[in-house]
Amino acid sequence: MDQGIMKEDMIRVENISMHFRLMNDRISSIKEMMTALARRKVKFKEFHALEDVSFTVFRGDVIGIIGHNGAGKSTLLKIISGIMKPSKGRIWRGANIVPMLELGSGFDYDLSGHENIYLNGAILGYSKEFLQSKYNEIVEYSELEPFIHTPLRNYSSGMLMRLAFSIATVVEPEILIVDEVLAVGDERFQEKSKKRMMELMSGGTTVLFVSHNIDQIREMCNRVVWLDHGRVRMIGDADEVCDAYREQFLEQ
Amino acid sequence: MNFSSKITFAFYGIIVYLLGIAIYQVIRDPGAWAFVILGASATICFWMLGSKLISKKKQTILSRIQATFHRFSFLIEQLVARDFKTKYKRSVLGVFWSFLNPLLMMAVQYFVFVNLMKLRNMGGENPMLDYYAVYLLVGIIIFSGFNDCCNQALRSIVYNASLITKVYVPKVIYPTTKVFSAGINLAFSILPLYIIALINGLVPNFSILLLPLGLLFILVFTIGMGYFLSSSVVFFRDIEFLWGVFSTMWMYATPIIYDIGILPDFIRKLMMLNPLYHYIDFVRYIVILRQVPSAQETMICAAFSLGMFVIGLTIFKKTEDKFIFYI
Repeated sequence: MDQGIMKEDMIRVENISMHFRLMNDRISSIKEMMTALARRKVKFKEFHALEDVSFTVFRGDVIGIIGHNGAGKSTLLKIISGIMKPSKGRIWRGANIVPMLELGSGFDYDLSGHENIYLNGAILGYSKEFLQSKYNEIVEYSELEPFIHTPLRNYSSGMLMRLAFSIATVVEPEILIVDEVLAVGDERFQEKSKKRMMELMSGGTTVLFVSHNIDQIREMCNRVVWLDHGRVRMIGDADEVCDAYREQFLEQ
Repeated sequence: MNFSSKITFAFYGIIVYLLGIAIYQVIRDPGAWAFVILGASATICFWMLGSKLISKKKQTILSRIQATFHRFSFLIEQLVARDFKTKYKRSVLGVFWSFLNPLLMMAVQYFVFVNLMKLRNMGGENPMLDYYAVYLLVGIIIFSGFNDCCNQALRSIVYNASLITKVYVPKVIYPTTKVFSAGINLAFSILPLYIIALINGLVPNFSILLLPLGLLFILVFTIGMGYFLSSSVVFFRDIEFLWGVFSTMWMYATPIIYDIGILPDFIRKLMMLNPLYHYIDFVRYIVILRQVPSAQETMICAAFSLGMFVIGLTIFKKTEDKFIFYI
């Protein structure tokens, strides 16, 4: 990275904390609530998923987020994409954020592939014009031309995955959020999808990338945030942080 | 014409429509001062929404609604289209069920109550009962339309949990689109009503122009109800089952098949608190008596609609940030 060039902020995470209230039992009916209240048994246990996390993402950064299970990586991504509101702190976003959906969660199985491309695209926040212009590309990439007017319930799971992947990766968003690199379908399509992901992530867009694969992080990212029990343990150059993370593992 | 100008157009259309009704009523009956107040206050409300008077920020409320609608118009369109397409996807008659359903329901109830139980002219004095088929059909269409909207909206947040936990979309969109798509069905079922009214010689008539106002009241009320139900069911799943029982109770507590005349005095007074009674009566007044409902009735309907809408939206907005922890 050339330090001389003025870097433009894309996301500023300022002192974010996220506290969950864990009840000893999740109360989900009025009766349970009444009996619990009557017995004064509603106890809350505070769980701090994130504690005072701050960092800034610049345009073109590929930021890796690492940490053990339950370190708060997914919570952080959810807060950044606006799905959750933090208990404390502020977040500033310079552009629209496109999440890489868990594949196919917006599909309707009674509709055809064609209709689902538009529905799923709308959910991801694409415009009609954009989808119309990319429609052929999506169909071609998914290799589903002969079946595109068949209802989704008749698709095989491999076909579903290919369609979902093709819709999700057609974008060139300003900020992309990736929770693990997705590789779907048979071996040949896996190669193809992996390549597509790598292209997307190295194409100059700003990426937030969560993975357990340290080698992948080292290869893809220029900066890495290491979360440990909800706190930032280390932020910095990818190699540096990854080495420190590895070392800590070896010590254990 | 782009989407936001369509919305502006619709808003001004509503204002002109309301003013027209007010003027028409005053010409017919110079004593109807209350209609003037209603028309004027509706105009002032819309004007304030569109002006910068009641908004602290630079944008007006109307332009903020417009901006949200504009940004998510494609999504709303897609979600409504999805509901509509999947509803009748695998049935032979498809969209015709929207017409047929209320007609068949009416036929069954007419047969049971008139031919089997000889209950024609229940309550006796109400002149509306002379057209019992139309009387029944209005009640059935409005109640089942309302019930359908509520049932759809109720599940809209919980059933979309997989999306809400993964993509940011203003959550208010989910119940709103559900009410819209069920509302389209309600609009479709106006056609059989028109046909039955035509057979009975009640239309064409000038007063039918007021029907959209009645439907607008119902739609606004239902959206408010949808916000309330969809957010409360997130925290207490029991409401889904309670609502099933409650809506049945509500149906029997609403004069759909019977007339309010058969009720004892005390219950008749209680009935004034039932918004659906007012809406159904409003529409029956227009269709069967071919008259413009009294200004007082119109005000009551408008008050119920606005009240429910504001209550529902407030509850929804206050709780929506917590949804994610419960779904």
